[in-house]
Amino acid sequence: MAKLSLRNISKRFGDTKVIHDFSAEVDNGEFLVLLGASGSGKSTLLRIIAGLTDATAGDVIFDNLRVNRQSPRERDVAFVFQSYALYPHLTVRENIAFPLALDKFKGWHHIPGISTIARRVFGSSKDIAKQVSGVSAMLELDQYADRKPGGLSGGQRQRVALARALIRNPSMFLLDEPLSNLDAKLRAELRGEIVRLHRLTGKTFVYVTHDQVEAMTMATQIVILHNGVVQQHATPQEIYTRPANTYVARFIGSPPMNLMAAAVVDGQPVVGGLTLAAPDGPGVGQPRLGDGGVTVGVRPEHLSVTVDGGRQGLPGTVRRIEDLGADTLIGVQPDPALDLKTWELNRDELIWIRQAGQSRLMAGDACTVVPEPGKASYFDSTTGENLAPAGRNSDAGAVPLGA
Amino acid sequence: MSTKEAPPVLHAPARRRLKAPGQRNFSKPVRLLLLAALVLFSGFPLYWMLNTALSVDSELYGQAQGWWPHWERLADFGELIGTVPIFKWLTNSVVIAGGTTLLSLVFAVLAGYALSRFKFYGKGAAGFLLFATQMLPEALLVVPIYALFASLGLLNGMGGLILANVAFTMPVSVWIIKGAIDAIPYEIEEAASVDGCPRVTILSLVLTPLILPSVAAAAVINFFDGWNEFLLAKTFIAERDLWPASVGLASFVGQYLTSLNSVMAAALLFTLPALIFFLLVQRRIVSGLTAGSVKG
Repeated sequence: MAKLSLRNISKRFGDTKVIHDFSAEVDNGEFLVLLGASGSGKSTLLRIIAGLTDATAGDVIFDNLRVNRQSPRERDVAFVFQSYALYPHLTVRENIAFPLALDKFKGWHHIPGISTIARRVFGSSKDIAKQVSGVSAMLELDQYADRKPGGLSGGQRQRVALARALIRNPSMFLLDEPLSNLDAKLRAELRGEIVRLHRLTGKTFVYVTHDQVEAMTMATQIVILHNGVVQQHATPQEIYTRPANTYVARFIGSPPMNLMAAAVVDGQPVVGGLTLAAPDGPGVGQPRLGDGGVTVGVRPEHLSVTVDGGRQGLPGTVRRIEDLGADTLIGVQPDPALDLKTWELNRDELIWIRQAGQSRLMAGDACTVVPEPGKASYFDSTTGENLAPAGRNSDAGAVPLGA
Repeated sequence: MSTKEAPPVLHAPARRRLKAPGQRNFSKPVRLLLLAALVLFSGFPLYWMLNTALSVDSELYGQAQGWWPHWERLADFGELIGTVPIFKWLTNSVVIAGGTTLLSLVFAVLAGYALSRFKFYGKGAAGFLLFATQMLPEALLVVPIYALFASLGLLNGMGGLILANVAFTMPVSVWIIKGAIDAIPYEIEEAASVDGCPRVTILSLVLTPLILPSVAAAAVINFFDGWNEFLLAKTFIAERDLWPASVGLASFVGQYLTSLNSVMAAALLFTLPALIFFLLVQRRIVSGLTAGSVKG
């Protein structure tokens, strides 16, 4: 059981700084997901927590103990690798028993030659065998116990890796993209498995991934990293509804949040002739938006599209229809004046709309995009920061749309 | 609904089976023939040694040597080599070759690991210097080493000889083992360290079993180097009882008389332990060829 505190962690490799001054508090039993594109420093951060890499500056604190100088073993963490990192020369049973056998080693057991015998003797002892069979039954590995990792599929290997982590009953589980080598179906299956293990053990999990679906479905907290800088640390719901900045807004969601530049006229944002509700200011009656520009963000599911020209909304032309079965994604080019050729040349960004069921629209249709009132987010157009104060889900303006 | 006949299935013209580049399959008889030729090629010298060892002197120096060994002379085999302490020499050879192999492998695994995994000042130079030792011929070094060993009191003993042999054979093993360790994903070591292994135990419990095929290959090289080594042994060891078999064998060659059948009989005995060693280790090397199919 451990509460994890990271204080001002920095890491540089030579001249490149990969983590900038990272701080976070993770309570016991949380499922923290470190989410970011490749090169964002998320794996490095996890390795720093594990003790496989040293931080250039800052402290890693477990409960109230500073563990900077402690080995992974002393920190009592389990680590699951993307490449599984099983011992190819040992059977599944021996792989799982390995950490427990090592637990029993005394100083002189580490002498080469003796260590091989000691591992065998301890590994086949009754209490360890019992624990191993318990864990492998839990992960449905019993029938593979005598195989070597080479004879297992990717999913089974990752199960073995999970079993090896689980059997030690560590204070914290660290998982480095454990599912990214698996196919989509297995990934969904093992995702459920990991969530189940998290509930079962009640331990702290720190999970690194670049997959937003994994992050959204498993996490109790998400940290989004970009170039070693924390973009947002919040619950999955908050990250979805109130992205801290435009990076997060574009990173989470598939298709991502639509971002549109808006002018501010009399404190009200205007996009392509459509006046949106002004968000509430920090104080009562205090306008939040200064004159100039603002970036408006709307999730695809908060937009609807209609061929009815009379509706108030953004005029546009349908360019893409992606039928996903349950939903349909519609890509609308916002400027209807542009013909197909100039649009293709320009490669302007489409406004994506998610619509339940099938759509009767066809590419090339003229249409109107109608935003759902009060569901927009507003971002500073220069810094990209969300203008709504943290803790508020969205700028649910009380004023009806177009007022 | 009218039933239409399915259009005839067009068969692609028969083509030769696609093969991996460089892979040529001969038909079975041809393969057997090739194998037989190979066996003959490598086996004939051994056979001829036996044949010579079992032939009579008059045959060897007089008329042409027969194709078939005189099996009846097998009884005299002991007499042929009984005049010299051949088994003593063979034991010495086993001690020297075995000691060389063991010591060299221990050093090579440690050095190979360091060269593969650690970053340190002078790493490139250390690797190069190991190779540089191979550029100097033994003949050039034998006198300086003799002088060195004389002052250290290491002459006329197997310990000194083992030490000298290790110095010559270890560098190759280091590079073989470094290459093998390079190929092993670092994550396996990290996993072991999370599981609680100190570095020594990672090396002995996890890495060594994984690089065993390369260790076996290095062992073969070391053992044969130690087994065949002649120059250093001849120079360093004066006492007849401490000679390895390679030096002992050479002593058959006299200034005026060389008993060819005795030499061959002894040479045959000299080959056997090495052959047995190779057969024991060879399976490990072959198993290493398939070990690549195990993904980390």
